Amino acid sequence: MSAPYRIVIVGAGALGSHLLLLSRNLPGQLTVIDFDRVERKNTLSQFHSRMGLGRNKAAALQQAMQGLFGIRIQAVPHRLTADNAAALLSGADLVVDCVDNAPTRALIQSVVRESDIACLHGALAADGSYARVMWDEVFSIDAGGEGQATCEDGEHLPFIAVVAARMAMAIQRFLRDGEKCSVHLHPGGILTL
Amino acid sequence: MYPDIRPHEARLNVTWRGQNGDLIDPVPYSASDRQLKRWAQEAIEHGGISGIGRRGPISLRDFVVDRFPASATTPFNRIFIRPKTPFG
Repeated sequence: MSAPYRIVIVGAGALGSHLLLLSRNLPGQLTVIDFDRVERKNTLSQFHSRMGLGRNKAAALQQAMQGLFGIRIQAVPHRLTADNAAALLSGADLVVDCVDNAPTRALIQSVVRESDIACLHGALAADGSYARVMWDEVFSIDAGGEGQATCEDGEHLPFIAVVAARMAMAIQRFLRDGEKCSVHLHPGGILTL
Repeated sequence: MYPDIRPHEARLNVTWRGQNGDLIDPVPYSASDRQLKRWAQEAIEHGGISGIGRRGPISLRDFVVDRFPASATTPFNRIFIRPKTPFG
């Protein structure tokens, strides 16, 4: 694997949007996949602004990255499904899972394992008390999340930003040294696995 | 801390409402999830985990138990009891 890298972020919500912001210096082509639309509540806990209200999240981030930093990213405004997952992920050097439901995580895991693609997972507890930033080799999928509301008031924004920063650091380290460092995080500290 | 964790034992780490700490003594690596949760629950309720403030009755029923065997970087088994993390 050599630069420029092809990095695909699946999910442009709390973790995915902030991770993109912190990945703007990576030597590669960034692609963001998300079918969802920006709502007002998202602007309190995600890197989405009022300018993006009503827009597809991936497209809104594409516009924001271009406007704020002059960086071009690819936006895929679709839901990742069994029909399109292989096509959307298989060309990547690195897939980053920032989704909020177990079935999509399982789909991502299936494709990256079958295609031998490096994959970093980001996963948050609903109450902002815990998170995991883990490479696929040691990641287990937690059930739940589908249809549940989380962090609509922005209470956990600082912790979300910390977790996204750890994800960005893990990616940098992987691209630079090939090392896969997985961590657990809570508001008081970090546990390295 | 944990100077003598034997191969059949593990360090048990718990995260509860954003606070985190280790059980004082090692636990059997093969202990059941239910048993591990019970030990952790009782320790938290009685202030037995440094780093987690003493609590009244709590429940770890919906928590997850992760097991990581000893490795080159961590020469002893580890078990984590943690909240579910379905969101991203």
